[in-house]
Amino acid sequence: MYMRKTQAVSPDDLLPLTPSVFHILLAIVDEPRHGYAIMQDVMEQTNGALSLGPGTLYGCLKRMVASGLVAESDDRPEAMNDDERRRYYQLTALGTRVVRAEADRLANSVVAARSRGVLTTEGAKA
Amino acid sequence: MNIAPVIYRLLLYGYPREFRRDYGGEMQRIFREQYSDAAKTGNRARMRALMRLIARDWLRSALRERVDSVTHFISTARLSAPRGAVNEWALTLLIYLFASTTLVQAYVIPTGSMEGNLRVGDHMLVDKTAYGKAGALGRYIMPYREIQRGDIVAFRYPEDTKQTYVKRVIGLPGDRIRMSGKQVIRNGHPLIESYTQYIDPSLERDRDDFPLAPDRLTTPRGLDMFEHHLVNGEIVVPPGALFVLGDNRDNSLDSRYWGFVPRDYVVGKPLVVYWSFDAPTEDLESWNLAHIMDVGEHFFTKTRWERTLLVPRSAKAVEVGAR
Repeated sequence: MYMRKTQAVSPDDLLPLTPSVFHILLAIVDEPRHGYAIMQDVMEQTNGALSLGPGTLYGCLKRMVASGLVAESDDRPEAMNDDERRRYYQLTALGTRVVRAEADRLANSVVAARSRGVLTTEGAKA
Repeated sequence: MNIAPVIYRLLLYGYPREFRRDYGGEMQRIFREQYSDAAKTGNRARMRALMRLIARDWLRSALRERVDSVTHFISTARLSAPRGAVNEWALTLLIYLFASTTLVQAYVIPTGSMEGNLRVGDHMLVDKTAYGKAGALGRYIMPYREIQRGDIVAFRYPEDTKQTYVKRVIGLPGDRIRMSGKQVIRNGHPLIESYTQYIDPSLERDRDDFPLAPDRLTTPRGLDMFEHHLVNGEIVVPPGALFVLGDNRDNSLDSRYWGFVPRDYVVGKPLVVYWSFDAPTEDLESWNLAHIMDVGEHFFTKTRWERTLLVPRSAKAVEVGAR
Protein backbone atom coordinates (compact mmCIF):
# COMPACT_ATOMS: atom_id res chain seq x y z
CA MET A 1 0.00 0.00 0.00
CA TYR A 2 2.69 2.42 0.97
CA MET A 3 5.41 1.18 -1.35
CA ARG A 4 7.67 3.78 -2.76
CA LYS A 5 10.22 3.45 -5.55
CA THR A 6 12.17 0.27 -5.09
CA GLN A 7 15.30 1.01 -7.10
CA ALA A 8 18.60 0.51 -5.34
CA VAL A 9 19.10 3.32 -2.89
CA SER A 10 22.43 4.52 -1.68
CA PRO A 11 22.59 4.52 2.13
CA ASP A 12 23.69 8.14 2.10
CA ASP A 13 20.41 9.18 0.52
CA LEU A 14 18.63 8.17 3.66
CA LEU A 15 20.86 9.99 6.11
CA PRO A 16 20.56 11.50 8.58
CA LEU A 17 18.13 9.15 10.25
CA THR A 18 15.75 10.29 12.90
CA PRO A 19 16.73 9.10 16.37
CA SER A 20 13.74 6.73 16.43
CA VAL A 21 14.72 5.04 13.19
CA PHE A 22 18.37 4.79 14.19
CA HIS A 23 17.65 3.20 17.54
CA ILE A 24 15.08 0.82 16.09
CA LEU A 25 17.72 -0.35 13.60
CA LEU A 26 20.20 -0.81 16.41
CA ALA A 27 17.68 -2.86 18.35
CA ILE A 28 17.47 -5.48 15.63
CA VAL A 29 21.12 -5.62 14.59
CA ASP A 30 21.71 -8.89 16.44
CA GLU A 31 18.44 -10.70 15.94
CA PRO A 32 14.89 -10.21 14.71
CA ARG A 33 12.64 -8.77 17.39
CA HIS A 34 8.97 -8.05 17.91
CA GLY A 35 7.50 -4.66 18.71
CA TYR A 36 7.59 -4.69 22.48
CA ALA A 37 11.14 -6.06 22.57
CA ILE A 38 12.23 -3.27 20.20
CA MET A 39 10.61 -0.67 22.44
CA GLN A 40 12.33 -2.01 25.53
CA ASP A 41 15.66 -2.22 23.78
CA VAL A 42 15.42 1.38 22.59
CA MET A 43 14.67 2.45 26.15
CA GLU A 44 17.76 0.59 27.33
CA GLN A 45 20.03 1.95 24.60
CA THR A 46 19.11 5.51 25.44
CA ASN A 47 18.81 5.17 29.20
CA GLY A 48 15.15 6.01 28.96
CA ALA A 49 15.68 9.21 27.00
CA LEU A 50 13.79 7.87 24.01
CA SER A 51 10.61 6.03 24.85
CA LEU A 52 8.56 5.13 21.80
CA GLY A 53 4.83 4.63 22.05
CA PRO A 54 3.08 1.92 20.03
CA GLY A 55 1.86 4.35 17.34
CA THR A 56 5.25 5.95 16.78
CA LEU A 57 6.94 2.57 16.72
CA TYR A 58 4.68 1.02 14.11
CA GLY A 59 4.52 4.23 12.09
CA CYS A 60 8.33 4.12 11.88
CA LEU A 61 8.38 0.41 11.11
CA LYS A 62 5.82 0.88 8.37
CA ARG A 63 7.95 3.51 6.68
CA MET A 64 11.13 1.52 7.27
CA VAL A 65 9.60 -1.50 5.58
CA ALA A 66 8.47 0.69 2.68
CA SER A 67 11.93 2.12 2.19
CA GLY A 68 13.54 -1.30 2.47
CA LEU A 69 15.48 -0.85 5.72
CA VAL A 70 13.76 -3.65 7.55
CA ALA A 71 11.61 -6.61 6.63
CA GLU A 72 9.20 -8.76 8.50
CA SER A 73 10.90 -11.91 9.61
CA ASP A 74 9.71 -15.45 9.63
CA ASP A 75 12.43 -16.38 12.07
CA ARG A 76 11.11 -16.44 15.58
CA PRO A 77 14.05 -16.61 17.94
CA GLU A 78 11.91 -16.97 21.02
CA ALA A 79 9.37 -19.14 19.27
CA MET A 80 9.35 -21.70 22.04
CA ASN A 81 7.76 -19.47 24.60
CA ASP A 82 6.19 -16.95 22.35
CA ASP A 83 2.96 -16.25 20.62
CA GLU A 84 2.71 -17.28 16.96
CA ARG A 85 0.95 -14.20 15.74
CA ARG A 86 3.57 -11.68 16.81
CA ARG A 87 5.30 -9.83 14.04
CA TYR A 88 9.07 -9.85 14.03
CA TYR A 89 11.29 -7.41 12.19
CA GLN A 90 14.82 -7.91 10.90
CA LEU A 91 17.43 -5.79 9.16
CA THR A 92 17.77 -5.99 5.40
CA ALA A 93 21.10 -5.68 3.65
CA LEU A 94 20.26 -2.04 2.97
CA GLY A 95 19.29 -1.56 6.60
CA THR A 96 22.63 -2.91 7.74
CA ARG A 97 24.51 -0.54 5.46
CA VAL A 98 22.36 2.40 6.51
CA VAL A 99 22.77 1.84 10.24
CA ARG A 100 26.56 1.60 9.77
CA ALA A 101 26.64 4.76 7.69
CA GLU A 102 24.56 6.58 10.28
CA ALA A 103 26.80 5.39 13.11
CA ASP A 104 29.82 6.67 11.17
CA ARG A 105 28.11 9.98 10.58
CA LEU A 106 27.31 10.30 14.27
CA ALA A 107 30.88 9.39 15.19
CA ASN A 108 32.12 12.14 12.93
CA SER A 109 29.77 14.57 14.61
CA VAL A 110 31.13 13.52 17.98
CA VAL A 111 34.69 14.06 16.77
CA ALA A 112 33.75 17.52 15.56
CA ALA A 113 32.09 18.30 18.88
CA ARG A 114 35.12 17.11 20.84
CA SER A 115 37.53 19.13 18.74
CA ARG A 116 35.62 22.24 19.74
CA GLY A 117 35.62 21.28 23.37
CA VAL A 118 31.88 20.99 23.78
CA LEU A 119 31.94 17.32 24.76
CA THR A 120 31.70 17.19 28.50
CA THR A 121 29.88 14.02 29.39
CA GLU A 122 31.88 11.07 30.62
CA GLY A 123 29.91 8.51 28.72
CA ALA A 124 31.10 9.68 25.34
CA LYS A 125 34.71 8.61 25.25
CA ALA A 126 36.22 7.89 21.87
CA MET B 1 -12.17 -5.64 34.21
CA ASN B 2 -9.95 -2.73 33.49
CA ILE B 3 -10.95 0.32 31.53
CA ALA B 4 -7.53 1.24 30.15
CA PRO B 5 -7.32 -1.36 27.35
CA VAL B 6 -10.85 -0.45 26.30
CA ILE B 7 -9.94 3.20 26.01
CA TYR B 8 -6.83 2.30 24.08
CA ARG B 9 -8.87 0.19 21.70
CA LEU B 10 -11.06 3.21 21.04
CA LEU B 11 -8.05 5.44 20.56
CA LEU B 12 -6.95 3.19 17.73
CA TYR B 13 -9.81 4.58 15.69
CA GLY B 14 -7.83 7.78 15.45
CA TYR B 15 -5.56 5.98 12.98
CA PRO B 16 -6.34 5.38 9.32
CA ARG B 17 -8.07 2.12 8.56
CA GLU B 18 -5.13 0.35 6.84
CA PHE B 19 -2.81 1.29 9.63
CA ARG B 20 -5.24 0.00 12.19
CA ARG B 21 -5.73 -3.19 10.26
CA ASP B 22 -1.99 -3.78 9.85
CA TYR B 23 -0.80 -2.80 13.29
CA GLY B 24 -3.80 -2.35 15.58
CA GLY B 25 -3.59 -5.83 17.06
CA GLU B 26 0.11 -5.50 17.83
CA MET B 27 -0.37 -2.05 19.29
CA GLN B 28 -3.07 -3.26 21.62
CA ARG B 29 -0.89 -6.14 22.67
CA ILE B 30 2.01 -3.83 23.40
CA PHE B 31 -0.22 -1.51 25.35
CA ARG B 32 -1.54 -4.37 27.46
CA GLU B 33 2.00 -5.51 28.16
CA GLN B 34 3.19 -2.03 29.07
CA TYR B 35 0.15 -1.53 31.19
CA SER B 36 0.46 -4.78 33.10
CA ASP B 37 4.19 -4.23 33.56
CA ALA B 38 3.50 -0.82 35.03
CA ALA B 39 0.63 -2.14 37.14
CA LYS B 40 2.80 -4.95 38.54
CA THR B 41 5.30 -2.49 39.98
CA GLY B 42 2.46 -0.77 41.81
CA ASN B 43 4.33 2.46 41.19
CA ARG B 44 1.84 5.22 40.51
CA ALA B 45 4.41 7.60 39.08
CA ARG B 46 5.37 4.98 36.54
CA MET B 47 1.74 4.45 35.60
CA ARG B 48 1.25 8.18 35.12
CA ALA B 49 4.38 8.35 32.99
CA LEU B 50 3.02 5.54 30.83
CA MET B 51 -0.32 7.31 30.39
CA ARG B 52 1.47 10.51 29.39
CA LEU B 53 3.60 8.60 26.92
CA ILE B 54 0.57 6.90 25.41
CA ALA B 55 -1.38 10.14 25.09
CA ARG B 56 1.53 11.94 23.46
CA ASP B 57 2.24 9.01 21.21
CA TRP B 58 -1.38 8.85 20.11
CA LEU B 59 -1.76 12.55 19.40
CA ARG B 60 1.39 12.64 17.34
CA SER B 61 1.30 9.38 15.49
CA ALA B 62 -2.44 9.31 14.74
CA LEU B 63 -2.17 12.69 13.10
CA ARG B 64 1.02 11.70 11.31
CA GLU B 65 -0.56 8.56 9.90
CA ARG B 66 -3.72 10.39 8.89
CA VAL B 67 -1.76 12.97 7.00
CA ASP B 68 0.37 10.22 5.51
CA SER B 69 -2.62 8.28 4.27
CA VAL B 70 -4.31 11.37 2.86
CA THR B 71 -1.15 12.41 1.03
CA HIS B 72 -0.81 8.91 -0.23
CA PHE B 73 -4.42 8.85 -1.36
CA ILE B 74 -4.08 12.13 -3.20
CA SER B 75 -0.86 11.14 -4.93
CA THR B 76 -2.18 7.77 -6.07
CA ALA B 77 -5.47 9.29 -7.23
CA ARG B 78 -3.32 11.36 -9.56
CA LEU B 79 -4.81 14.59 -8.48
CA SER B 80 -2.44 17.34 -9.45
CA ALA B 81 -0.07 17.15 -6.50
CA PRO B 82 -1.32 17.57 -2.93
CA ARG B 83 -3.60 20.56 -2.97
CA GLY B 84 -2.26 22.12 0.10
CA ALA B 85 -2.90 21.72 3.74
CA VAL B 86 -6.55 22.72 3.71
CA ASN B 87 -7.69 19.60 1.90
CA GLU B 88 -5.73 17.32 4.14
CA TRP B 89 -7.08 18.92 7.26
CA ALA B 90 -10.63 18.95 6.02
CA LEU B 91 -10.52 15.26 5.20
CA THR B 92 -8.83 14.40 8.46
CA LEU B 93 -11.48 16.33 10.32
CA LEU B 94 -14.26 14.57 8.42
CA ILE B 95 -12.82 11.19 9.26
CA TYR B 96 -12.56 12.12 12.92
CA LEU B 97 -16.16 13.26 12.97
CA PHE B 98 -17.32 10.09 11.30
CA ALA B 99 -15.36 7.94 13.71
CA SER B 100 -16.66 9.80 16.71
CA THR B 101 -20.30 9.31 15.77
CA THR B 102 -20.07 5.62 14.95
CA LEU B 103 -17.94 4.61 17.90
CA VAL B 104 -19.02 6.74 20.77
CA GLN B 105 -22.12 8.69 21.41
CA ALA B 106 -22.55 11.55 23.80
CA TYR B 107 -25.46 11.17 26.15
CA VAL B 108 -26.83 13.07 29.10
CA ILE B 109 -28.59 11.55 32.10
CA PRO B 110 -31.90 13.40 32.32
CA THR B 111 -33.53 11.61 35.26
CA GLY B 112 -32.53 10.39 38.67
CA SER B 113 -33.24 6.71 38.16
CA MET B 114 -29.57 5.76 38.45
CA GLU B 115 -28.87 8.32 41.19
CA GLY B 116 -26.26 7.03 43.56
CA ASN B 117 -24.05 6.12 40.63
CA LEU B 118 -25.08 8.41 37.81
CA ARG B 119 -26.51 11.84 38.52
CA VAL B 120 -28.93 14.06 36.68
CA GLY B 121 -26.79 16.21 34.40
CA ASP B 122 -23.96 13.72 33.90
CA HIS B 123 -22.84 14.05 30.31
CA MET B 124 -21.20 10.89 29.23
CA LEU B 125 -19.75 8.99 26.32
CA VAL B 126 -21.25 5.64 25.44
CA ASP B 127 -18.96 3.03 23.90
CA LYS B 128 -21.04 1.73 21.03
CA THR B 129 -18.64 -1.04 20.18
CA ALA B 130 -18.49 -2.61 23.64
CA TYR B 131 -20.98 -5.34 22.96
CA GLY B 132 -19.89 -5.94 19.39
CA LYS B 133 -22.97 -4.96 17.49
CA ALA B 134 -20.97 -3.08 14.85
CA GLY B 135 -21.62 -5.71 12.19
CA ALA B 136 -19.75 -8.92 11.51
CA LEU B 137 -16.55 -7.13 10.61
CA GLY B 138 -16.41 -5.09 13.80
CA ARG B 139 -17.13 -8.24 15.73
CA TYR B 140 -14.20 -9.95 14.08
CA ILE B 141 -11.70 -7.17 14.51
CA MET B 142 -12.53 -5.91 17.93
CA PRO B 143 -12.65 -7.75 21.17
CA TYR B 144 -16.11 -7.50 22.62
CA ARG B 145 -17.89 -9.06 25.51
CA GLU B 146 -21.30 -10.41 26.21
CA ILE B 147 -23.65 -8.42 28.38
CA GLN B 148 -23.49 -9.62 31.94
CA ARG B 149 -25.68 -9.24 34.97
CA GLY B 150 -24.66 -6.09 36.81
CA ASP B 151 -23.54 -4.23 33.68
CA ILE B 152 -24.78 -0.70 33.17
CA VAL B 153 -26.12 -0.40 29.63
CA ALA B 154 -27.43 2.40 27.45
CA PHE B 155 -30.34 1.38 25.25
CA ARG B 156 -33.18 2.72 23.19
CA TYR B 157 -36.28 2.93 25.32
CA PRO B 158 -38.59 0.25 23.89
CA GLU B 159 -41.74 2.37 24.20
CA ASP B 160 -40.11 5.29 22.39
CA THR B 161 -36.93 4.40 20.57
CA LYS B 162 -35.96 8.02 20.09
CA GLN B 163 -35.02 8.17 23.74
CA THR B 164 -31.93 6.58 25.21
CA TYR B 165 -32.10 5.18 28.72
CA VAL B 166 -29.40 3.95 31.05
CA LYS B 167 -30.11 1.18 33.56
CA ARG B 168 -28.46 -1.82 35.16
CA VAL B 169 -28.92 -5.35 33.81
CA ILE B 170 -30.53 -7.60 36.41
CA GLY B 171 -31.83 -10.50 34.35
CA LEU B 172 -30.50 -12.31 31.28
CA PRO B 173 -32.56 -14.68 29.11
CA GLY B 174 -33.81 -17.58 31.19
CA ASP B 175 -33.47 -15.79 34.53
CA ARG B 176 -36.43 -15.85 36.88
CA ILE B 177 -36.96 -12.50 38.59
CA ARG B 178 -39.16 -11.36 41.42
CA MET B 179 -39.05 -8.74 44.15
CA SER B 180 -40.37 -8.99 47.65
CA GLY B 181 -40.31 -5.89 49.84
CA LYS B 182 -37.60 -4.21 47.70
CA GLN B 183 -35.53 -7.41 47.78
CA VAL B 184 -34.68 -8.73 44.33
CA ILE B 185 -34.78 -12.51 44.08
CA ARG B 186 -33.14 -13.96 40.98
CA ASN B 187 -33.51 -17.65 40.21
CA GLY B 188 -34.56 -18.19 43.79
CA HIS B 189 -31.56 -16.43 45.33
CA PRO B 190 -31.91 -13.08 47.09
CA LEU B 191 -29.41 -10.55 45.76
CA ILE B 192 -27.16 -8.39 47.87
CA GLU B 193 -26.79 -5.35 45.66
CA SER B 194 -24.01 -2.96 46.57
CA TYR B 195 -24.97 -0.45 43.91
CA THR B 196 -28.56 0.41 44.82
CA GLN B 197 -29.94 3.22 46.85
CA TYR B 198 -33.33 3.43 48.52
CA ILE B 199 -34.73 6.86 49.23
CA ASP B 200 -38.15 5.83 50.52
CA PRO B 201 -38.22 3.75 53.68
CA SER B 202 -41.87 2.87 53.25
CA LEU B 203 -43.09 -0.04 51.20
CA GLU B 204 -45.24 0.44 48.15
CA ARG B 205 -46.80 -2.70 46.88
CA ASP B 206 -46.59 -2.35 43.12
CA ARG B 207 -43.12 -0.89 43.23
CA ASP B 208 -41.47 -3.02 45.86
CA ASP B 209 -43.25 -6.30 45.35
CA PHE B 210 -43.02 -7.59 41.84
CA PRO B 211 -44.65 -8.99 39.81
CA LEU B 212 -48.04 -8.45 41.43
CA ALA B 213 -50.26 -6.97 38.76
CA PRO B 214 -50.04 -4.20 36.23
CA ASP B 215 -50.67 -0.78 37.77
CA ARG B 216 -51.36 2.68 36.38
CA LEU B 217 -47.72 3.15 35.34
CA THR B 218 -47.51 -0.10 33.40
CA THR B 219 -47.11 0.48 29.66
CA PRO B 220 -48.38 -1.73 26.81
CA ARG B 221 -45.08 -3.61 26.67
CA GLY B 222 -45.22 -3.97 30.42
CA LEU B 223 -48.70 -5.46 30.09
CA ASP B 224 -47.34 -7.90 27.53
CA MET B 225 -44.68 -8.96 30.02
CA PHE B 226 -47.26 -9.58 32.73
CA GLU B 227 -49.43 -11.44 30.30
CA HIS B 228 -46.91 -13.74 28.64
CA HIS B 229 -43.86 -14.05 30.84
CA LEU B 230 -45.28 -14.44 34.30
CA VAL B 231 -44.71 -17.99 35.55
CA ASN B 232 -45.51 -19.04 39.11
CA GLY B 233 -45.21 -15.53 40.50
CA GLU B 234 -41.92 -14.83 38.71
CA ILE B 235 -41.03 -13.06 35.51
CA VAL B 236 -39.00 -15.28 33.20
CA VAL B 237 -36.75 -13.32 30.85
CA PRO B 238 -37.30 -14.53 27.27
CA PRO B 239 -34.52 -15.20 24.74
CA GLY B 240 -32.96 -12.08 23.23
CA ALA B 241 -34.16 -9.81 26.01
CA LEU B 242 -32.85 -8.16 29.16
CA PHE B 243 -34.51 -7.24 32.43
CA VAL B 244 -33.15 -3.94 33.71
CA LEU B 245 -33.65 -1.88 36.88
CA GLY B 246 -32.51 1.58 37.95
CA ASP B 247 -30.05 1.80 40.84
CA ASN B 248 -32.26 4.40 42.50
CA ARG B 249 -34.79 1.68 43.06
CA ASP B 250 -37.56 3.68 44.71
CA ASN B 251 -37.66 6.28 41.96
CA SER B 252 -37.08 4.45 38.72
CA LEU B 253 -39.29 3.54 35.83
CA ASP B 254 -37.75 0.37 34.53
CA SER B 255 -38.51 -3.18 33.43
CA ARG B 256 -41.00 -3.45 36.29
CA TYR B 257 -43.22 -1.02 34.39
CA TRP B 258 -42.35 -1.20 30.72
CA GLY B 259 -41.05 -4.71 30.30
CA PHE B 260 -37.93 -6.13 28.70
CA VAL B 261 -35.22 -4.47 26.63
CA PRO B 262 -34.68 -6.34 23.36
CA ARG B 263 -30.97 -7.16 23.10
CA ASP B 264 -30.83 -5.35 19.75
CA TYR B 265 -31.91 -2.10 21.40
CA VAL B 266 -28.74 -1.93 23.47
CA VAL B 267 -26.66 0.99 22.22
CA GLY B 268 -23.56 0.40 24.27
CA LYS B 269 -21.79 0.75 27.52
CA PRO B 270 -21.36 4.05 29.36
CA LEU B 271 -17.67 4.78 29.19
CA VAL B 272 -16.90 7.94 31.04
CA VAL B 273 -18.56 11.05 32.41
CA TYR B 274 -16.90 13.94 30.62
CA TRP B 275 -18.94 16.75 32.13
CA SER B 276 -21.40 16.86 34.96
CA PHE B 277 -23.58 19.94 35.21
CA ASP B 278 -26.19 20.57 37.85
CA ALA B 279 -29.33 21.28 35.84
CA PRO B 280 -33.00 20.29 36.08
CA THR B 281 -34.41 17.44 34.02
CA GLU B 282 -36.45 19.68 31.66
CA ASP B 283 -33.34 21.59 30.62
CA LEU B 284 -31.46 18.42 29.86
CA GLU B 285 -34.19 16.85 27.78
CA SER B 286 -34.38 19.77 25.40
CA TRP B 287 -32.03 22.68 25.18
CA ASN B 288 -33.54 26.09 25.70
CA LEU B 289 -32.28 29.63 25.97
CA ALA B 290 -32.57 29.73 29.74
CA HIS B 291 -30.41 26.64 30.00
CA ILE B 292 -27.76 28.01 27.68
CA MET B 293 -27.60 31.18 29.76
CA ASP B 294 -27.49 29.10 32.92
CA VAL B 295 -24.52 27.19 31.58
CA GLY B 296 -22.79 30.37 30.49
CA GLU B 297 -23.31 32.06 33.81
CA HIS B 298 -22.70 29.18 36.17
CA PHE B 299 -20.36 26.93 34.23
CA PHE B 300 -17.70 26.97 36.91
CA THR B 301 -19.94 26.80 39.94
CA LYS B 302 -22.52 24.31 38.72
CA THR B 303 -20.09 21.94 37.06
CA ARG B 304 -19.49 19.02 39.39
CA TRP B 305 -15.76 18.90 38.84
CA GLU B 306 -15.26 15.89 41.05
CA ARG B 307 -17.34 13.81 38.63
CA THR B 308 -15.25 14.64 35.58
CA LEU B 309 -13.76 11.52 34.03
CA LEU B 310 -15.72 9.29 36.35
CA VAL B 311 -16.11 5.78 35.01
CA PRO B 312 -19.44 4.03 35.68
CA ARG B 313 -18.68 0.49 36.69
CA SER B 314 -20.35 -2.85 36.40
CA ALA B 315 -21.02 -4.46 39.76
CA LYS B 316 -21.84 -8.00 40.62
CA ALA B 317 -24.62 -8.66 43.07
CA VAL B 318 -23.97 -11.43 45.57
CA GLU B 319 -26.46 -14.24 45.19
CA VAL B 320 -27.35 -15.47 48.65
CA GLY B 321 -27.39 -19.25 48.80
CA ALA B 322 -25.96 -19.75 45.33
CA ARG B 323 -22.90 -21.89 44.88
